[in-house]
Amino acid sequence: MTDPSSTKTVAFEAVDVSKSYPGVTALDGVSLTGYAGEVLAICGANGAGKSTLARLLAGQEQPTSGSIRIAGWDKPINGPADAQDAGILLMHQEPMIIDDFTVAENVFIKCISSAGSVRGWKTVPRKRAEATREVLAAVGLHGVSPDRLGRELGPGLRQMLALSRTQVNEHTVLLLDETTASTTEEHFKDVLALVDRERAAGVSVIFVSHRMPEVFSMADRIAVLRNGRLVDVVTTSETTPAEVMTLMIGEAVSAIEAPAPVATTTRPVLEVSGLSSGSATDVSFEVRPGEVLGIYGLVGSGRSSIIRSISGNQTRDAGVVTLNGQEVHPKSPGEAAAKGIAYLTEDRRKEGFVKDFTNGENMTLATIKNYSRLGVVNRRKENKRIGELISEYQVKGGPSTLTRTLSGGNQQKVVIAKWLEARPEVVLLDEPTKGIDVGARMNIYQIVHGLADEGKAVVVVTSEAEEALMLCNRILVLKEGRFVGEFTPATSTTDDLIRASLAGVTA
Amino acid sequence: MTQTSTTTAPTGRAGLDWGRVGAWAKEQYPLYILILLLVIAGISTSAFFTPQNLTNLVLQASVIGIVTLAQFLVVLTGGIDISVGSVVGLAGVLAAGLFSGASVPLAILVAVLTGAAIGAINGWLVAFRGLEAFIVTLGMLALARGLVYAYTEGVPVTPQAEDFRGIASSTLFGFPVIGILWLVLAAAVAFLVRRTVFGRRVYASGSNKEAARAAGIPVRSTLFLVYVIAGVLSGFAGFLLASRVGVGTPTAGTGYELNAIAAVVIGGTSLVGGKGRVFGALVGTLIFAVISNLLVLLNVSTYLQDAFRGALILVAVLLTTIQFAKRKKARQLT
Repeated sequence: MTDPSSTKTVAFEAVDVSKSYPGVTALDGVSLTGYAGEVLAICGANGAGKSTLARLLAGQEQPTSGSIRIAGWDKPINGPADAQDAGILLMHQEPMIIDDFTVAENVFIKCISSAGSVRGWKTVPRKRAEATREVLAAVGLHGVSPDRLGRELGPGLRQMLALSRTQVNEHTVLLLDETTASTTEEHFKDVLALVDRERAAGVSVIFVSHRMPEVFSMADRIAVLRNGRLVDVVTTSETTPAEVMTLMIGEAVSAIEAPAPVATTTRPVLEVSGLSSGSATDVSFEVRPGEVLGIYGLVGSGRSSIIRSISGNQTRDAGVVTLNGQEVHPKSPGEAAAKGIAYLTEDRRKEGFVKDFTNGENMTLATIKNYSRLGVVNRRKENKRIGELISEYQVKGGPSTLTRTLSGGNQQKVVIAKWLEARPEVVLLDEPTKGIDVGARMNIYQIVHGLADEGKAVVVVTSEAEEALMLCNRILVLKEGRFVGEFTPATSTTDDLIRASLAGVTA
Repeated sequence: MTQTSTTTAPTGRAGLDWGRVGAWAKEQYPLYILILLLVIAGISTSAFFTPQNLTNLVLQASVIGIVTLAQFLVVLTGGIDISVGSVVGLAGVLAAGLFSGASVPLAILVAVLTGAAIGAINGWLVAFRGLEAFIVTLGMLALARGLVYAYTEGVPVTPQAEDFRGIASSTLFGFPVIGILWLVLAAAVAFLVRRTVFGRRVYASGSNKEAARAAGIPVRSTLFLVYVIAGVLSGFAGFLLASRVGVGTPTAGTGYELNAIAAVVIGGTSLVGGKGRVFGALVGTLIFAVISNLLVLLNVSTYLQDAFRGALILVAVLLTTIQFAKRKKARQLT
């Protein structure tokens, strides 16, 4: 690590930091220095130790050995409160927003955590309404009223609201822990602007992520972790995403070939016409067997509404859906599944799997009747099939591990296995790789392509243009509830998709 | 165990998997509390381990044990049923009073149907109208108890059937029939939740309603049925109690809801739903029964007895949090 920037001011320093839990070494002798006015990305696949490092830096946990020093703070950091006093501002992956507080109260939330400010807190809404507007404007939230409740905001806005605290709370180190995971591309430019301002103000920004495009658009340097060790620290301008990914997973990443469009001679399995639901308005499309259709659009464009309303997860305002020529209008996900339509949710933790269930129980959740007679489950038959599924999908941990303890990629495999057991003809995937790291993503992509090869009709909703191009035979771009363009991966770029989703298509 | 088990991999149908036994044993802290209590009981008074006292203990534990099974099912769905005690009371007086209590099978039918009806109302309000289980069953607690007093005017109801006490007072090989009924019902509930499709649905709905619904599980009818079954169990318990006493007492079952909830929680069932075993509920019931029995044998004042029971609940709940804290730590590894 020869650093040319030794003239810069050190903002924080981690020296030979290790963290072990009983039986596992999560972090092994990591030394890392962050400078004022610099954005340092920390990259790594899931389990590489990047979250652990972030927790240590934020004072949420203490290193087993080694030390962390923050410039201008010579006391030990024994908890999140100390870390805050030392000038570290942590932004979580899940935005910390209190649902029943107003936007203004959420912005100035630190007032309730610092001593002696009870009175000041009470006057926040009135006195600081103007201040709140300014703060919100600084992160691109122009239209949001300070009086709205936290619960009224969508996930994208919540994240931006949390980020607006950077304007209020004094800090020298800003720690973004996968903060952009739920940020859409439209808000991402606001995040980018914010980070630029922070950098200009001399703040040391740490950006924990595994999403290459974001890392490369933000970071000055990239620290790569693998299996708890610091592999390398590279300067962004001197490297490429492929190189960093190779460092992350330890081997070269083979890009998946963009799939070609499916011949239009076959009869479509799924035909949707004039569908309206949620923000989707008068949407029509069709999917053929063996085809992966991508629906790309910004958050709020109605992407999820389309496939949720097809699969009985959401009510339909208008429109006709036919499956193999027969009209279907499922009132519940169960009814949809029985007719051969499976919907794989974007929110795995909430809807994807049962949190107290093992992998095995989750995998047979939708098809438990196949293993039962007169309502009594034949455990031996069930376990046999579970064993087959576990090895087929290579799920880590085996049948009796709780699904919630697995990584996102493995959880997704369990969810996929569950639905494919129901032998659907149409598979609807909502953000299939949300929260899943690079290595496991490829695995999911292969599974999706495998589905198409089996002749299933697949619809993928995604907010990542890159993913759409890698995964789909054909991509429809959605803007404000209507389709504004159709693309094929071979002749399109991410830029085309993003442009269309923002401004509609001109070509 | 002729072969020394060097295989660490789960081998499916191996004779005895010591790893699993160990894992099971680690979770059984209520059982250890019970064993400890039994040891204390044996040491502190010679009157405890006598056939007569043990019979007494089983008689006391059985009715509340069946109510606890009802509570267990409801808690497993993430709900709570505080009307169980009133259902016991109402079922008891109606069993003894309707049709003059002339026929035992008819009395049982009345008790069970009473419970089913109340359970159906609870279940409909909770499952299909989306109301909070707590407030629904709180209303039902008052409503059913009020009906008991209105029906009896505060006077115990004496049934005509001469063999009304038959079931509760008879024994099989020296063991009270009422205790056997309790264990049979416990086995039935255990089978229901662990081995059937319905049971799988109960666990799934209790653990994660949205995921269950998304997977095509009829969450509402599952919840509804659970309340009905709970009502049936409580109603039957009401009949057994009336049968034990010989009359339908207006105050019968008062406070059973607290006892049942505490027994369920001490038995390791999570109040947020989705986690718990019938065995735990059995052990929880026995812990309460042993404590109550022991306090009586030791001539502790009735007022202090309640305090002891309350303290026990707190200690047991505290123990569960210590366990959860450990699990949480283990989970952070991944």
